Amino acid sequence: MAGATQPAAIRRRAAESDLSVGRVLLVTAGALFWGWLVASWLNRWLGGVVVPVGEPFVRPATVETALATLPGLAAYAEPIGFAVGISPEIARGAWLTIVITTVSLFIGFFIAVPLAVTRVYGRYSAYLSLGYTELLRGTPLLAQLFVLHFGLNLGAYVPGALSGVFPRNVVWVAILGFTLNGAAYQAEYIRGALESVEEGQITAGRAIGLSRVETIYYVVLPQGLRYAIPSWTNEFIYLIKYSSLAAFITVPELYYRADQIAASTFRYTLIFAVTGLAYLALVLTASKLMEAVEARVAIPGLGADRGR
Amino acid sequence: MTDESFLEVTDVSKWYGDEQVLHDVSFEMDRGDVTVLIGPSGSGKSTMLRCVNRLAEAQEGSIRLDGEDVLAPSTDVDDLRREVGMVFQGFNLFAHLSAVGNVALGPQRVLGLSKAEARDRATDQLERVGLGNQLDSYPAELSGGQQQRVGTARALAMEPKLMLFDEPTSALDPELIGEVLEVMHDLVEAGMTMLVVTHEMSFARAVADEIVFLDAGRVVERGPPEQLFENPEKERTDRFLDRIASHD
Repeated sequence: MAGATQPAAIRRRAAESDLSVGRVLLVTAGALFWGWLVASWLNRWLGGVVVPVGEPFVRPATVETALATLPGLAAYAEPIGFAVGISPEIARGAWLTIVITTVSLFIGFFIAVPLAVTRVYGRYSAYLSLGYTELLRGTPLLAQLFVLHFGLNLGAYVPGALSGVFPRNVVWVAILGFTLNGAAYQAEYIRGALESVEEGQITAGRAIGLSRVETIYYVVLPQGLRYAIPSWTNEFIYLIKYSSLAAFITVPELYYRADQIAASTFRYTLIFAVTGLAYLALVLTASKLMEAVEARVAIPGLGADRGR
Repeated sequence: MTDESFLEVTDVSKWYGDEQVLHDVSFEMDRGDVTVLIGPSGSGKSTMLRCVNRLAEAQEGSIRLDGEDVLAPSTDVDDLRREVGMVFQGFNLFAHLSAVGNVALGPQRVLGLSKAEARDRATDQLERVGLGNQLDSYPAELSGGQQQRVGTARALAMEPKLMLFDEPTSALDPELIGEVLEVMHDLVEAGMTMLVVTHEMSFARAVADEIVFLDAGRVVERGPPEQLFENPEKERTDRFLDRIASHD
Protein backbone atom coordinates (compact mmCIF):
# COMPACT_ATOMS: atom_id res chain seq x y z
CA MET A 1 0.00 0.00 0.00
CA ALA A 2 2.71 2.44 0.99
CA GLY A 3 4.06 3.34 -2.45
CA ALA A 4 0.73 3.15 -4.18
CA THR A 5 -0.97 5.73 -1.97
CA GLN A 6 1.35 8.56 -2.96
CA PRO A 7 -0.88 11.40 -4.16
CA ALA A 8 -0.99 11.62 -7.92
CA ALA A 9 0.18 15.24 -7.87
CA ILE A 10 3.50 14.31 -6.28
CA ARG A 11 4.07 11.55 -8.78
CA ARG A 12 3.22 13.84 -11.65
CA ARG A 13 5.68 16.45 -10.44
CA ALA A 14 8.36 13.79 -10.13
CA ALA A 15 7.81 12.80 -13.76
CA GLU A 16 8.02 16.38 -14.98
CA SER A 17 11.34 17.03 -13.31
CA ASP A 18 12.84 14.12 -15.25
CA LEU A 19 14.52 16.30 -17.87
CA SER A 20 16.57 13.83 -19.87
CA VAL A 21 18.51 14.96 -22.95
CA GLY A 22 16.08 13.12 -25.21
CA ARG A 23 13.15 14.88 -23.66
CA VAL A 24 14.76 18.30 -24.04
CA LEU A 25 15.56 17.60 -27.70
CA LEU A 26 12.05 16.36 -28.40
CA VAL A 27 10.39 19.32 -26.72
CA THR A 28 12.69 21.78 -28.52
CA ALA A 29 12.06 20.15 -31.90
CA GLY A 30 8.33 20.14 -31.21
CA ALA A 31 8.34 23.80 -30.22
CA LEU A 32 10.27 24.76 -33.37
CA PHE A 33 7.97 22.74 -35.63
CA TRP A 34 4.74 24.09 -34.16
CA GLY A 35 6.14 27.60 -33.90
CA TRP A 36 6.99 27.57 -37.60
CA LEU A 37 3.67 25.93 -38.53
CA VAL A 38 1.48 28.38 -36.63
CA ALA A 39 3.55 31.37 -37.78
CA SER A 40 3.16 30.22 -41.39
CA TRP A 41 -0.60 29.92 -41.06
CA LEU A 42 -0.96 33.29 -39.37
CA ASN A 43 1.15 34.95 -42.02
CA ARG A 44 -1.08 33.50 -44.72
CA TRP A 45 -4.41 34.26 -43.03
CA LEU A 46 -3.40 37.81 -42.21
CA GLY A 47 -2.45 38.44 -45.83
CA GLY A 48 1.31 38.31 -45.54
CA VAL A 49 2.07 40.51 -42.54
CA VAL A 50 5.59 39.12 -42.00
CA VAL A 51 6.59 37.93 -45.46
CA PRO A 52 4.56 37.94 -48.69
CA VAL A 53 2.07 35.04 -48.85
CA GLY A 54 3.75 31.93 -50.24
CA GLU A 55 7.27 33.09 -49.36
CA PRO A 56 9.33 31.34 -46.67
CA PHE A 57 10.30 33.30 -43.54
CA VAL A 58 13.95 33.16 -44.61
CA ARG A 59 14.97 33.46 -48.26
CA PRO A 60 16.29 30.13 -49.59
CA ALA A 61 19.27 31.92 -51.14
CA THR A 62 20.25 33.36 -47.75
CA VAL A 63 20.14 29.91 -46.13
CA GLU A 64 22.12 28.44 -48.98
CA THR A 65 24.84 31.08 -48.81
CA ALA A 66 25.11 30.77 -45.03
CA LEU A 67 25.37 26.97 -45.09
CA ALA A 68 27.85 26.98 -47.98
CA THR A 69 30.37 28.70 -45.73
CA LEU A 70 30.18 25.87 -43.17
CA PRO A 71 32.58 23.08 -44.18
CA GLY A 72 30.46 20.10 -43.03
CA LEU A 73 27.17 21.39 -44.39
CA ALA A 74 28.28 22.85 -47.71
CA ALA A 75 27.18 19.76 -49.64
CA TYR A 76 23.66 20.04 -48.17
CA ALA A 77 23.29 23.77 -48.66
CA GLU A 78 21.33 23.50 -51.89
CA PRO A 79 18.80 20.80 -50.80
CA ILE A 80 18.21 22.56 -47.48
CA GLY A 81 17.69 25.82 -49.33
CA PHE A 82 15.19 24.07 -51.58
CA ALA A 83 13.39 22.63 -48.55
CA VAL A 84 13.12 26.12 -47.07
CA GLY A 85 11.69 27.27 -50.39
CA ILE A 86 8.84 24.73 -50.31
CA SER A 87 8.13 25.15 -46.57
CA PRO A 88 5.16 27.53 -47.03
CA GLU A 89 3.40 24.93 -49.17
CA ILE A 90 4.14 22.21 -46.58
CA ALA A 91 2.67 24.35 -43.79
CA ARG A 92 -0.35 25.13 -45.96
CA GLY A 93 -0.97 21.43 -46.67
CA ALA A 94 -0.38 20.43 -43.04
CA TRP A 95 -3.26 22.72 -41.98
CA LEU A 96 -5.80 20.67 -43.93
CA THR A 97 -4.20 17.41 -42.83
CA ILE A 98 -4.63 18.46 -39.20
CA VAL A 99 -8.17 19.74 -39.67
CA ILE A 100 -9.35 16.68 -41.57
CA THR A 101 -7.77 14.33 -39.05
CA THR A 102 -9.00 15.99 -35.88
CA VAL A 103 -12.52 16.78 -37.12
CA SER A 104 -12.99 13.23 -38.48
CA LEU A 105 -11.62 11.71 -35.32
CA PHE A 106 -13.82 13.88 -33.11
CA ILE A 107 -17.08 13.27 -34.97
CA GLY A 108 -16.15 9.63 -35.50
CA PHE A 109 -15.77 9.18 -31.75
CA PHE A 110 -19.44 9.99 -31.16
CA ILE A 111 -20.41 7.39 -33.75
CA ALA A 112 -17.90 4.87 -32.42
CA VAL A 113 -19.11 4.89 -28.81
CA PRO A 114 -22.71 3.86 -29.63
CA LEU A 115 -21.34 1.33 -32.14
CA ALA A 116 -19.11 -0.21 -29.49
CA VAL A 117 -21.81 -0.18 -26.81
CA THR A 118 -24.40 -1.82 -29.03
CA ARG A 119 -21.78 -4.29 -30.20
CA VAL A 120 -21.07 -5.39 -26.63
CA TYR A 121 -24.44 -4.94 -24.93
CA GLY A 122 -26.99 -4.89 -27.74
CA ARG A 123 -29.00 -7.85 -28.96
CA TYR A 124 -30.16 -7.22 -32.52
CA SER A 125 -28.38 -3.89 -32.70
CA ALA A 126 -25.12 -5.78 -32.17
CA TYR A 127 -25.53 -7.26 -35.65
CA LEU A 128 -26.16 -3.85 -37.19
CA SER A 129 -23.07 -2.54 -35.49
CA LEU A 130 -21.05 -5.56 -36.57
CA GLY A 131 -22.26 -5.16 -40.16
CA TYR A 132 -21.27 -1.51 -40.23
CA THR A 133 -17.87 -2.19 -38.76
CA GLU A 134 -17.03 -5.08 -41.06
CA LEU A 135 -18.23 -3.23 -44.16
CA LEU A 136 -16.12 -0.16 -43.44
CA ARG A 137 -13.07 -2.05 -42.24
CA GLY A 138 -13.36 -4.63 -44.95
CA THR A 139 -13.32 -2.39 -48.00
CA PRO A 140 -10.45 -0.12 -49.09
CA LEU A 141 -10.64 3.38 -47.68
CA LEU A 142 -9.63 4.79 -51.05
CA ALA A 143 -12.55 3.00 -52.67
CA GLN A 144 -14.88 4.48 -50.06
CA LEU A 145 -13.58 7.96 -50.82
CA PHE A 146 -14.04 7.34 -54.55
CA VAL A 147 -17.62 6.22 -54.02
CA LEU A 148 -18.41 9.34 -51.98
CA HIS A 149 -16.63 11.70 -54.36
CA PHE A 150 -16.82 10.28 -57.90
CA GLY A 151 -19.76 7.94 -57.40
CA LEU A 152 -22.14 10.04 -55.34
CA ASN A 153 -20.51 13.42 -56.07
CA LEU A 154 -21.34 14.52 -52.52
CA GLY A 155 -19.21 17.64 -52.89
CA ALA A 156 -22.06 19.13 -54.90
CA TYR A 157 -24.51 18.72 -52.00
CA VAL A 158 -22.56 20.41 -49.18
CA PRO A 159 -25.13 22.50 -47.28
CA GLY A 160 -24.85 26.28 -47.43
CA ALA A 161 -23.53 26.78 -43.91
CA LEU A 162 -20.61 24.42 -44.51
CA SER A 163 -19.98 25.37 -48.10
CA GLY A 164 -17.07 27.73 -48.50
CA VAL A 165 -15.47 26.95 -45.11
CA PHE A 166 -12.67 25.21 -46.99
CA PRO A 167 -11.09 26.17 -50.30
CA ARG A 168 -12.80 23.18 -51.92
CA ASN A 169 -16.02 21.48 -50.80
CA VAL A 170 -14.41 18.14 -51.47
CA VAL A 171 -12.70 18.59 -48.10
CA TRP A 172 -16.09 17.88 -46.51
CA VAL A 173 -16.36 14.71 -48.56
CA ALA A 174 -12.98 13.60 -47.22
CA ILE A 175 -14.03 14.42 -43.65
CA LEU A 176 -17.21 12.40 -44.13
CA GLY A 177 -15.24 9.47 -45.52
CA PHE A 178 -12.66 9.47 -42.74
CA THR A 179 -15.34 9.95 -40.09
CA LEU A 180 -17.35 6.95 -41.27
CA ASN A 181 -14.31 4.75 -41.76
CA GLY A 182 -12.47 5.89 -38.63
CA ALA A 183 -15.59 5.35 -36.53
CA ALA A 184 -15.51 1.66 -37.44
CA TYR A 185 -11.91 1.34 -36.28
CA GLN A 186 -12.45 3.45 -33.17
CA ALA A 187 -15.46 1.30 -32.32
CA GLU A 188 -13.31 -1.82 -32.41
CA TYR A 189 -10.74 -0.32 -30.03
CA ILE A 190 -13.46 0.88 -27.68
CA ARG A 191 -15.28 -2.45 -27.86
CA GLY A 192 -12.15 -4.25 -26.73
CA ALA A 193 -11.78 -1.88 -23.80
CA LEU A 194 -15.44 -2.18 -22.78
CA GLU A 195 -15.11 -5.94 -22.73
CA SER A 196 -12.20 -5.62 -20.33
CA VAL A 197 -14.37 -3.87 -17.74
CA GLU A 198 -15.14 -6.47 -15.10
CA GLU A 199 -18.60 -8.02 -15.01
CA GLY A 200 -18.80 -7.25 -11.28
CA GLN A 201 -18.86 -3.52 -12.08
CA ILE A 202 -22.11 -3.97 -13.98
CA THR A 203 -23.56 -6.20 -11.27
CA ALA A 204 -22.75 -3.56 -8.67
CA GLY A 205 -24.32 -0.82 -10.77
CA ARG A 206 -27.51 -2.82 -11.30
CA ALA A 207 -27.58 -3.73 -7.59
CA ILE A 208 -27.89 -0.09 -6.49
CA GLY A 209 -30.81 0.33 -8.88
CA LEU A 210 -29.16 1.84 -11.94
CA SER A 211 -30.77 0.67 -15.17
CA ARG A 212 -28.69 -1.15 -17.74
CA VAL A 213 -28.20 1.97 -19.83
CA GLU A 214 -27.35 4.07 -16.76
CA THR A 215 -24.84 1.45 -15.63
CA ILE A 216 -23.15 1.55 -19.02
CA TYR A 217 -23.10 5.35 -18.98
CA TYR A 218 -22.00 5.96 -15.40
CA VAL A 219 -19.91 2.88 -14.69
CA VAL A 220 -18.72 1.04 -17.80
CA LEU A 221 -17.92 3.88 -20.19
CA PRO A 222 -15.85 6.01 -17.79
CA GLN A 223 -13.62 3.00 -17.21
CA GLY A 224 -13.69 1.50 -20.69
CA LEU A 225 -12.86 4.76 -22.42
CA ARG A 226 -9.85 5.23 -20.17
CA TYR A 227 -8.65 1.71 -20.93
CA ALA A 228 -9.15 2.42 -24.65
CA ILE A 229 -6.77 5.38 -24.81
CA PRO A 230 -3.52 3.54 -25.68
CA SER A 231 -5.01 1.51 -28.51
CA TRP A 232 -7.27 4.36 -29.63
CA THR A 233 -4.13 6.46 -30.07
CA ASN A 234 -3.24 4.04 -32.88
CA GLU A 235 -6.30 5.15 -34.78
CA PHE A 236 -5.36 8.80 -34.26
CA ILE A 237 -1.90 8.11 -35.68
CA TYR A 238 -3.16 6.04 -38.59
CA LEU A 239 -5.69 8.68 -39.48
CA ILE A 240 -3.01 11.39 -39.67
CA LYS A 241 -1.24 9.27 -42.25
CA TYR A 242 -4.12 7.88 -44.22
CA SER A 243 -5.67 11.30 -44.47
CA SER A 244 -3.14 11.54 -47.33
CA LEU A 245 -5.54 9.43 -49.39
CA ALA A 246 -7.68 12.57 -49.62
CA ALA A 247 -5.16 13.78 -52.20
CA PHE A 248 -6.70 11.27 -54.62
CA ILE A 249 -10.01 13.11 -54.50
CA THR A 250 -8.19 16.44 -54.96
CA VAL A 251 -8.12 17.66 -51.37
CA PRO A 252 -5.10 19.98 -51.15
CA GLU A 253 -3.68 18.54 -47.93
CA LEU A 254 -0.06 17.82 -47.10
CA TYR A 255 0.54 14.91 -49.46
CA TYR A 256 -1.29 16.67 -52.29
CA ARG A 257 0.87 19.80 -51.96
CA ALA A 258 4.05 17.71 -51.87
CA ASP A 259 2.98 15.75 -54.92
CA GLN A 260 2.19 18.93 -56.84
CA ILE A 261 5.64 20.40 -56.17
CA ALA A 262 7.32 17.11 -56.96
CA ALA A 263 5.51 16.81 -60.28
CA SER A 264 6.75 20.20 -61.37
CA THR A 265 10.31 19.97 -59.97
CA PHE A 266 11.00 16.21 -60.16
CA ARG A 267 12.76 16.31 -56.78
CA TYR A 268 10.70 13.46 -55.38
CA THR A 269 13.14 12.09 -52.82
CA LEU A 270 13.86 15.41 -51.19
CA ILE A 271 10.27 16.58 -51.20
CA PHE A 272 8.85 13.39 -49.74
CA ALA A 273 11.63 13.22 -47.15
CA VAL A 274 10.63 16.71 -45.96
CA THR A 275 6.93 15.77 -46.12
CA GLY A 276 7.67 12.57 -44.21
CA LEU A 277 9.35 14.60 -41.48
CA ALA A 278 6.27 16.80 -41.23
CA TYR A 279 4.05 13.71 -40.85
CA LEU A 280 6.47 12.34 -38.24
CA ALA A 281 6.24 15.58 -36.26
CA LEU A 282 2.43 15.44 -36.38
CA VAL A 283 2.36 11.80 -35.31
CA LEU A 284 4.79 12.37 -32.43
CA THR A 285 2.70 15.30 -31.30
CA ALA A 286 -0.42 13.14 -31.34
CA SER A 287 1.15 10.31 -29.40
CA LYS A 288 2.67 12.65 -26.79
CA LEU A 289 -0.63 14.45 -26.49
CA MET A 290 -2.50 11.21 -25.87
CA GLU A 291 0.14 10.09 -23.36
CA ALA A 292 -0.51 13.30 -21.46
CA VAL A 293 -4.27 12.73 -21.66
CA GLU A 294 -3.83 9.18 -20.40
CA ALA A 295 -1.77 10.32 -17.43
CA ARG A 296 -4.22 13.13 -16.73
CA VAL A 297 -7.28 10.88 -16.50
CA ALA A 298 -5.49 7.92 -14.90
CA ILE A 299 -7.37 6.36 -12.01
CA PRO A 300 -5.24 6.76 -8.87
CA GLY A 301 -3.62 3.46 -7.96
CA LEU A 302 -4.38 1.87 -11.33
CA GLY A 303 -2.78 1.38 -14.74
CA ALA A 304 -0.83 4.27 -16.22
CA ASP A 305 -0.74 6.02 -12.88
CA ARG A 306 1.07 3.19 -11.18
CA GLY A 307 4.78 3.72 -10.62
CA ARG A 308 5.08 6.69 -12.95
CA MET B 1 -52.59 -13.03 4.53
CA THR B 2 -52.56 -10.59 7.43
CA ASP B 3 -49.62 -11.89 9.45
CA GLU B 4 -47.28 -12.04 6.49
CA SER B 5 -43.57 -11.99 7.26
CA PHE B 6 -41.32 -9.20 5.99
CA LEU B 7 -39.50 -11.54 3.63
CA GLU B 8 -41.14 -14.78 2.57
CA VAL B 9 -39.28 -17.19 0.35
CA THR B 10 -41.53 -20.08 -0.63
CA ASP B 11 -40.54 -23.16 -2.62
CA VAL B 12 -38.01 -21.36 -4.77
CA SER B 13 -36.43 -23.48 -7.49
CA LYS B 14 -33.87 -22.53 -10.08
CA TRP B 15 -32.05 -24.28 -12.89
CA TYR B 16 -28.90 -23.43 -14.78
CA GLY B 17 -29.57 -25.31 -18.00
CA ASP B 18 -30.41 -28.87 -16.96
CA GLU B 19 -28.84 -28.56 -13.55
CA GLN B 20 -31.17 -27.69 -10.72
CA VAL B 21 -29.33 -25.43 -8.29
CA LEU B 22 -32.22 -24.60 -5.93
CA HIS B 23 -34.85 -27.14 -4.83
CA ASP B 24 -37.99 -25.71 -3.22
CA VAL B 25 -36.12 -23.42 -0.86
CA SER B 26 -38.33 -21.82 1.78
CA PHE B 27 -37.65 -19.54 4.73
CA GLU B 28 -38.99 -16.29 6.08
CA MET B 29 -37.78 -13.44 8.20
CA ASP B 30 -39.31 -10.49 10.05
CA ARG B 31 -38.26 -6.89 9.95
CA GLY B 32 -35.07 -6.42 11.97
CA ASP B 33 -34.16 -10.10 11.74
CA VAL B 34 -30.76 -11.41 10.79
CA THR B 35 -30.82 -14.64 8.83
CA VAL B 36 -27.59 -16.39 7.90
CA LEU B 37 -27.37 -18.85 5.03
CA ILE B 38 -24.64 -21.42 5.51
CA GLY B 39 -23.56 -24.45 3.55
CA PRO B 40 -20.74 -25.90 1.49
CA SER B 41 -19.63 -24.09 -1.65
CA GLY B 42 -21.90 -24.81 -4.57
CA SER B 43 -24.85 -25.35 -2.25
CA GLY B 44 -26.80 -22.46 -3.81
CA LYS B 45 -26.48 -19.92 -0.97
CA SER B 46 -25.30 -17.06 -3.17
CA THR B 47 -27.78 -17.93 -5.90
CA MET B 48 -30.60 -17.86 -3.34
CA LEU B 49 -29.41 -14.47 -2.10
CA ARG B 50 -29.31 -13.10 -5.65
CA CYS B 51 -32.83 -14.30 -6.34
CA VAL B 52 -34.04 -11.88 -3.67
CA ASN B 53 -32.90 -8.79 -5.61
CA ARG B 54 -33.29 -10.58 -8.92
CA LEU B 55 -29.67 -10.53 -9.96
CA ALA B 56 -30.58 -14.18 -10.51
CA GLU B 57 -34.05 -15.22 -11.65
CA ALA B 58 -35.90 -17.85 -9.68
CA GLN B 59 -37.91 -20.01 -12.08
CA GLU B 60 -40.40 -21.44 -9.61
CA GLY B 61 -41.82 -20.52 -6.24
CA SER B 62 -42.49 -17.14 -4.77
CA ILE B 63 -40.58 -14.41 -2.99
CA ARG B 64 -42.51 -11.70 -1.19
CA LEU B 65 -40.77 -8.69 0.30
CA ASP B 66 -42.77 -6.33 2.51
CA GLY B 67 -45.99 -7.56 0.93
CA GLU B 68 -44.81 -7.19 -2.65
CA ASP B 69 -44.38 -10.00 -5.12
CA VAL B 70 -40.70 -9.84 -6.05
CA LEU B 71 -40.97 -12.29 -8.94
CA ALA B 72 -44.05 -10.76 -10.58
CA PRO B 73 -43.41 -9.71 -14.19
CA SER B 74 -44.82 -6.28 -13.32
CA THR B 75 -42.21 -5.69 -10.61
CA ASP B 76 -39.66 -3.09 -11.65
CA VAL B 77 -36.29 -4.63 -10.77
CA ASP B 78 -34.65 -1.21 -10.48
CA ASP B 79 -37.28 -0.12 -7.93
CA LEU B 80 -36.77 -3.37 -6.07
CA ARG B 81 -33.01 -2.97 -5.97
CA ARG B 82 -33.06 0.56 -4.63
CA GLU B 83 -34.75 -0.90 -1.56
CA VAL B 84 -32.45 -3.92 -1.22
CA GLY B 85 -28.78 -3.22 -0.60
CA MET B 86 -26.12 -5.72 -1.58
CA VAL B 87 -22.54 -6.28 -0.51
CA PHE B 88 -20.40 -8.52 -2.71
CA GLN B 89 -17.66 -11.00 -2.00
CA GLY B 90 -15.38 -9.25 -4.52
CA PHE B 91 -16.33 -5.73 -3.30
CA ASN B 92 -17.11 -4.60 -6.87
CA LEU B 93 -16.36 -0.97 -6.09
CA PHE B 94 -16.59 1.33 -9.09
CA ALA B 95 -12.91 1.48 -10.00
CA HIS B 96 -12.98 4.98 -11.46
CA LEU B 97 -14.68 6.66 -8.52
CA SER B 98 -13.30 7.72 -5.14
CA ALA B 99 -14.81 6.27 -1.98
CA VAL B 100 -17.24 9.14 -1.73
CA GLY B 101 -18.00 8.92 -5.46
CA ASN B 102 -18.83 5.23 -5.09
CA VAL B 103 -21.26 5.87 -2.28
CA ALA B 104 -22.80 9.02 -3.78
CA LEU B 105 -23.52 7.55 -7.23
CA GLY B 106 -26.71 5.73 -6.23
CA PRO B 107 -28.22 8.58 -4.18
CA GLN B 108 -27.47 11.05 -6.97
CA ARG B 109 -28.42 9.02 -10.04
CA VAL B 110 -31.04 6.67 -8.67
CA LEU B 111 -32.65 8.65 -5.85
CA GLY B 112 -32.22 11.99 -7.61
CA LEU B 113 -30.44 13.85 -4.81
CA SER B 114 -28.41 16.90 -5.76
CA LYS B 115 -24.67 16.43 -6.05
CA ALA B 116 -24.06 18.17 -2.72
CA GLU B 117 -26.80 16.22 -0.91
CA ALA B 118 -25.50 12.95 -2.31
CA ARG B 119 -21.98 13.83 -1.23
CA ASP B 120 -23.16 14.70 2.27
CA ARG B 121 -25.03 11.45 2.55
CA ALA B 122 -22.01 9.52 1.26
CA THR B 123 -19.76 11.26 3.77
CA ASP B 124 -22.13 10.32 6.61
CA GLN B 125 -22.21 6.69 5.53
CA LEU B 126 -18.45 6.48 5.15
CA GLU B 127 -18.02 7.99 8.61
CA ARG B 128 -20.45 5.39 9.89
CA VAL B 129 -18.17 2.60 8.61
CA GLY B 130 -15.08 4.34 9.99
CA LEU B 131 -13.73 5.72 6.71
CA GLY B 132 -14.26 9.43 7.26
CA ASN B 133 -10.55 9.94 6.63
CA GLN B 134 -10.53 8.09 3.27
CA LEU B 135 -13.29 9.95 1.46
CA ASP B 136 -11.21 10.81 -1.59
CA SER B 137 -9.21 7.59 -1.84
CA TYR B 138 -9.73 5.39 -4.85
CA PRO B 139 -10.53 1.67 -4.58
CA ALA B 140 -7.06 0.66 -5.78
CA GLU B 141 -5.58 2.72 -2.95
CA LEU B 142 -7.62 0.99 -0.24
CA SER B 143 -7.08 -2.31 1.55
CA GLY B 144 -9.60 -5.10 1.05
CA GLY B 145 -11.20 -4.42 4.41
CA GLN B 146 -11.55 -0.73 3.62
CA GLN B 147 -12.97 -1.53 0.18
CA GLN B 148 -15.57 -3.80 1.69
CA ARG B 149 -16.56 -1.11 4.18
CA VAL B 150 -16.99 1.33 1.26
CA GLY B 151 -19.10 -1.37 -0.44
CA THR B 152 -21.27 -1.56 2.67
CA ALA B 153 -21.58 2.23 2.87
CA ARG B 154 -22.55 2.29 -0.81
CA ALA B 155 -25.44 -0.07 -0.13
CA LEU B 156 -26.48 1.75 3.06
CA ALA B 157 -26.57 5.13 1.32
CA MET B 158 -29.64 3.95 -0.57
CA GLU B 159 -31.40 3.54 2.83
CA PRO B 160 -32.45 -0.02 2.02
CA LYS B 161 -35.03 -1.94 3.99
CA LEU B 162 -33.10 -5.17 3.52
CA MET B 163 -29.36 -5.76 3.23
CA LEU B 164 -27.91 -8.75 1.40
CA PHE B 165 -24.36 -9.81 2.22
CA ASP B 166 -22.79 -12.29 -0.20
CA GLU B 167 -19.76 -13.77 1.57
CA PRO B 168 -18.53 -10.29 2.52
CA THR B 169 -15.34 -11.51 4.21
CA SER B 170 -14.38 -14.47 2.01
CA ALA B 171 -11.98 -12.50 -0.19
CA LEU B 172 -10.24 -10.81 2.73
CA ASP B 173 -6.95 -11.50 4.43
CA PRO B 174 -7.64 -12.90 7.90
CA GLU B 175 -6.45 -9.78 9.70
CA LEU B 176 -8.90 -7.60 7.73
CA ILE B 177 -12.01 -9.67 8.42
CA GLY B 178 -12.56 -8.17 11.87
CA GLU B 179 -13.12 -4.60 10.68
CA VAL B 180 -15.84 -5.71 8.25
CA LEU B 181 -17.57 -7.91 10.83
CA GLU B 182 -17.48 -4.99 13.23
CA VAL B 183 -19.38 -2.82 10.76
CA MET B 184 -21.91 -5.63 10.28
CA HIS B 185 -22.30 -5.95 14.04
CA ASP B 186 -23.07 -2.24 14.26
CA LEU B 187 -25.74 -2.67 11.60
CA VAL B 188 -27.34 -5.53 13.50
CA GLU B 189 -27.44 -3.35 16.59
CA ALA B 190 -29.01 -0.53 14.59
CA GLY B 191 -31.84 -2.94 13.76
CA MET B 192 -31.09 -3.51 10.07
CA THR B 193 -32.79 -6.48 8.43
CA MET B 194 -29.98 -8.61 7.04
CA LEU B 195 -29.73 -11.75 4.95
CA VAL B 196 -26.14 -12.96 5.08
CA VAL B 197 -24.19 -15.68 3.30
CA THR B 198 -21.02 -16.34 5.25
CA HIS B 199 -18.57 -18.92 6.50
CA GLU B 200 -17.92 -16.89 9.66
CA MET B 201 -19.64 -19.22 12.10
CA SER B 202 -18.82 -17.25 15.22
CA PHE B 203 -20.43 -14.19 13.64
CA ALA B 204 -23.45 -16.25 12.64
CA ARG B 205 -23.78 -17.68 16.10
CA ALA B 206 -23.49 -14.26 17.72
CA VAL B 207 -25.95 -12.25 15.65
CA ALA B 208 -28.29 -14.55 13.71
CA ASP B 209 -31.92 -14.95 14.61
CA GLU B 210 -32.08 -17.91 12.32
CA ILE B 211 -29.58 -20.06 10.48
CA VAL B 212 -30.56 -21.75 7.22
CA PHE B 213 -28.33 -24.64 6.23
CA LEU B 214 -28.35 -25.36 2.51
CA ASP B 215 -26.79 -28.32 0.78
CA ALA B 216 -27.03 -29.14 -2.92
CA GLY B 217 -29.71 -26.49 -3.36
CA ARG B 218 -31.97 -27.84 -0.59
CA VAL B 219 -32.72 -26.50 2.86
CA VAL B 220 -31.42 -29.30 5.05
CA GLU B 221 -32.28 -27.68 8.32
CA ARG B 222 -33.04 -24.30 9.78
CA GLY B 223 -33.45 -22.90 13.25
CA PRO B 224 -32.02 -20.55 15.85
CA PRO B 225 -28.22 -20.71 16.11
CA GLU B 226 -28.15 -22.37 19.54
CA GLN B 227 -30.24 -25.23 18.27
CA LEU B 228 -28.51 -25.61 14.93
CA PHE B 229 -24.98 -25.36 16.24
CA GLU B 230 -25.39 -27.27 19.52
CA ASN B 231 -28.04 -29.73 18.62
CA PRO B 232 -28.47 -30.24 14.89
CA GLU B 233 -31.26 -32.58 13.94
CA LYS B 234 -29.72 -33.75 10.70
CA GLU B 235 -26.55 -35.74 10.43
CA ARG B 236 -25.56 -33.76 7.30
CA THR B 237 -25.61 -30.51 9.28
CA ASP B 238 -23.49 -32.05 11.99
CA ARG B 239 -20.87 -33.22 9.52
CA PHE B 240 -20.71 -29.82 7.84
CA LEU B 241 -20.34 -27.97 11.14
CA ASP B 242 -17.63 -30.40 12.26
CA ARG B 243 -15.65 -29.80 9.11
CA ILE B 244 -16.00 -26.02 9.39
CA ALA B 245 -15.00 -26.17 13.06
CA SER B 246 -11.84 -28.12 12.31
CA HIS B 247 -10.78 -25.32 9.97
CA ASP B 248 -11.52 -22.53 12.45
